[in-house]
Amino acid sequence: MSSIIKIQGLTKQYGNTLAVDHLDLEVFEGEIFGLLGPNGAGKTSTIRMLTGQTTPTSGTARVANHDIIHESTKAKQQIGVIPDISNIYEEMSAWDNLIFAAQLYSVPKIEREKSAKELLELFGLYERRKDRAAGFSRGMKRRLTIAAALIHKPKLLFLDEPTSGLDVQSLRMIRNLIKELNDDGVTVFLTTHYIEEADQLCQRVAIINKGKIVTVDTPEKLKASMEKRQVIEVSFTASSGLEDKLRSLSCVNDVSMLGDKCRLQVDEASEAVPSLVDFARKNSLKIISINTLNPSLEEAFVKLTGLSPEVMKTEKEPVKRKRIENLD
Amino acid sequence: MIEALRENVLKAVHIAEKDAKIYFFKGPNITFGLLFPAIIYLAFSVGRTAESPSLIIPGLVAMSSLFGAGAIESLALPLERAKGTFDRLLAAPISLTTIIVGKALGGFFFGIFLSIGYMVIALLLPGASIANPLLFALGIALSALAFSALGVCISTPFRDVPQAMPPATLIRVAMVFLGGVFIPINAMPGFLQLVAHLLPITYAVNMLQQATTGQTFPQALVIDVAALIIFSIIFFVISTVILKRTLR
Repeated sequence: MSSIIKIQGLTKQYGNTLAVDHLDLEVFEGEIFGLLGPNGAGKTSTIRMLTGQTTPTSGTARVANHDIIHESTKAKQQIGVIPDISNIYEEMSAWDNLIFAAQLYSVPKIEREKSAKELLELFGLYERRKDRAAGFSRGMKRRLTIAAALIHKPKLLFLDEPTSGLDVQSLRMIRNLIKELNDDGVTVFLTTHYIEEADQLCQRVAIINKGKIVTVDTPEKLKASMEKRQVIEVSFTASSGLEDKLRSLSCVNDVSMLGDKCRLQVDEASEAVPSLVDFARKNSLKIISINTLNPSLEEAFVKLTGLSPEVMKTEKEPVKRKRIENLD
Repeated sequence: MIEALRENVLKAVHIAEKDAKIYFFKGPNITFGLLFPAIIYLAFSVGRTAESPSLIIPGLVAMSSLFGAGAIESLALPLERAKGTFDRLLAAPISLTTIIVGKALGGFFFGIFLSIGYMVIALLLPGASIANPLLFALGIALSALAFSALGVCISTPFRDVPQAMPPATLIRVAMVFLGGVFIPINAMPGFLQLVAHLLPITYAVNMLQQATTGQTFPQALVIDVAALIIFSIIFFVISTVILKRTLR
């Protein structure tokens, strides 16, 4: 597979803060590549350097076979960028936003109008094409931002936290869209702090923390790298006061409670299950459900980075917009 | 090469069109661009001996161009940076120079629009006339170019409007009083005369004055035209350098 992004020693320093620390990375044509890490890990800084929105402090990056610093215009012609905030012009209509985006990429007039119509229909915005984007919901603005990034049919798409803060319906729509675009041959480079998103969408994942790449591999290989152990998830008719009792079982290494479910780390599931059945009978309990679980990407992430999964669930602070809107 | 230049010019025009749609009728633009020149003029001229209308026109038109062309720049660039839409321009296949020129073009057209508006109002005064309309038109165009480039230059370091507006207003108001709009330059102390010759508005007023009165001095005219063009180029270059630095 040929390389569509090649990064060597890419570094970004803001004053005394080293946001991105000598990154080396390669992304191949046709894949969905994820950069996974907590807020402040350097994901947005990396994407901003790769898309020419900020200049690297040092290092090199080739995007779509062009150096992003010395041949930035040629590189940018091939890419689409969807930032973490919906940066459409709210004072303009949906139609005007797309036409302007197409003009920036020198899309010919007939083609830009055709593409604008198709994209607005695809994203369910055609009926609102003449309405100012200021009146759109968050999900609609996001869809319009994505449409603007696709107007020139890029072969490489950068998405920075594409589903952050969205409702479930919009989230699913965007994830499905990413898969469809990839099926059509578009290479996708996305950043996310949702482990589940990286697991479901990405063919390869790079885990980044404090500006450094921790590891790069497929989600399945990352999960397989976990020590061989088994987890049983069991739900009884009553759950209070069970943790210590379960921990005392000889086949159980560790117990954690998740709501009404007990997660037990065991050496061998085939030996643990009969012990649990016996346990239930002795304590006058019934087993509602019992499942064996494989290692998750979340567990692999925790092991590799030492970070708690809760850190990954923290959303970025919303941009303060109130002061700006008062200018109208 | 020619095709690349044509594409860049088109993109700059599209940016200017977009700015015109969004920013021309925004509040700060109306206040600083449309009303401020009239307010300053009235504040300075009330109670003073009435001047000949032909002497009013150059200063008024130059001032309207200065505030008009500059107001939109103080608004457009910082506002886009604050809202994140400027990143859209940075991520697109456009050079920084093209972005700067596109931004300035919006101010250029607004400056011309306001200048013509004030010119028409001034021509309604009894006895007002413009002896050389073609030269006057060139003066309006070159003034608007220099002032819009200045506006971009002043606003480039700032990331929001409240930061950009005060220095922009201060510089423009100072230029009005030091540039021969109200006080003839030869009536100023020696040091201030030197400062006046470092300001683009001085050359704009000179050029418009010659066009209004019909008393042209070829050498002075060449200096006025050259100065306005050189100022424009200098401001564009400084803007590009500052913008590159802010991306680091």
